[in-house]
Amino acid sequence: MDQFIQLENFPKIAPYAELFWQGTLVTVLLALFTVVIGFCLALILALMRMSNIRPFRALGLDSDGHPREKGFLALLSRFNPLEFIATAYVEILRSTPVLVQVFIIYYGVFSIIELPGFQLFGFIKFDRFLPGVVALGMNSGAYLCEIIRSGIQSIDSGQTEAARSLGMSQGQNMRYIILPQAIKNILPSIANEFVVIIKESAITYTIGVQDIMSAVNAVRGATFIIIEPLLVATAIYFCLCFPTSKIIAYVERRMSRGDKR
Amino acid sequence: METRDNMIRVTDLKKHYKGGSIKALDGVSVDINKGDVIAVIGPSGSGKSTFLRSLNLLEEPTGGSIVFKGIDITKKKYKDASGKTVKLNIDELRQKMGMVFQHFNLFPHMTILDNMTLAPMKVKGISKAEAEKKALELLDRVGLKDRADAYPIQLSGGQKQRVAIVRALAMEPEVMLFDEPTSALDPEMVGEVLDVMKELAEEGMTMVVVTHEMGFAREVGNRLLFMADGKLLEQGDPKELFDNPQNPRLQDFLSKVL
Repeated sequence: MDQFIQLENFPKIAPYAELFWQGTLVTVLLALFTVVIGFCLALILALMRMSNIRPFRALGLDSDGHPREKGFLALLSRFNPLEFIATAYVEILRSTPVLVQVFIIYYGVFSIIELPGFQLFGFIKFDRFLPGVVALGMNSGAYLCEIIRSGIQSIDSGQTEAARSLGMSQGQNMRYIILPQAIKNILPSIANEFVVIIKESAITYTIGVQDIMSAVNAVRGATFIIIEPLLVATAIYFCLCFPTSKIIAYVERRMSRGDKR
Repeated sequence: METRDNMIRVTDLKKHYKGGSIKALDGVSVDINKGDVIAVIGPSGSGKSTFLRSLNLLEEPTGGSIVFKGIDITKKKYKDASGKTVKLNIDELRQKMGMVFQHFNLFPHMTILDNMTLAPMKVKGISKAEAEKKALELLDRVGLKDRADAYPIQLSGGQKQRVAIVRALAMEPEVMLFDEPTSALDPEMVGEVLDVMKELAEEGMTMVVVTHEMGFAREVGNRLLFMADGKLLEQGDPKELFDNPQNPRLQDFLSKVL
């Protein structure tokens, strides 16, 4: 009877070590780019969700110029299209499978946009890598948006009141007072998102990104061995994620120590 | 009594929530003149903080008017001297009204000096060197020049509040609003903050102070407002009101706090 793990299989897959090494690099790069894109997108989305741009604001004022308290016009005057768009984006992206999103981006969007077929570092296919990054970045942007929003909203409202009472505009308040404090609070969450994306990025092998999982597939195709390459992949993912999350937890503890007010 | 220039005229100010079922402010009318030091007292929930915060529009009133330097600031637009309709610039307005909060609200990620120079530099556009010179002068006045490079977290409550006061002064406001400036302080630190406020009053600064410090209200204020249930129930000379309160609510309130 076959054993679950056959040790003699490991030497057989050893020649493919280079594939795993390249796969690891691709996975890490994928996660890094994804977090950067996701963060920029999320910052825009979060600011949109918290914006106060109300085109029908004037309808909410009565003939005296004071705000109406209730009624349809009061509701309409509070309608904010930017907030609506950002909220819709976040809810749709969070309520659909990431696999579907990756397929739509790759087979849909990037079938229209022609990408150059060059290879980064000589082995990363750019026309697969970029759609993967874009799809994961869009997805992670939706999640990071909520992290950033809660980070911004966790700053005491007295900070805004103090800034505004000094004559600063809403934009100046955001830039000089709120964001510098909020970013510090949400950095650990962003680093955690990096760990999540390392794991989630495995899904991009379905569109031909040569990450760790695609190395597993390639080895299986060449040698008909499946369990042992999977174990190697498991070990690599663990070695990437476990220390990273431990480091994050440590840094988080260190940073919160200086926070006593 | 000498006649003074009117600075802020509040007429029938209302702040209603939930379609009028909650009335935080219910028709308050006050004249604030240049050089006035007005103490606002009253039980908690009486609307005195809401009143103060309405003056620089941190709360948006739902009725009535606040005329500041001839402009009704509760309206989004006003007509300027030439009769042209101009949009109200709230930020510009707030520069002229300094505000001090119960919980100081210093910016914790900046040094004391940066706390003080940020708004003058970014809002008024004055140079860093000039802003710092001014800030150090102000800090010197409240005895905190040597703490300029400290962070707020390193200061005591009384020190933080003194910094908050001079931070507001750095914008050279025409009126200072104090929202229970000593309520969050340990008892032994109340005096140092009140001293700074007293000095400010003596220099002729127009001040509106929501406070529980009855001694300060009586000695430093030239007018006392007593509020309850969103209404201004009594106003007048502090010593008269303290010694001879007419309104039964004020009699009741004073019997509890004195």
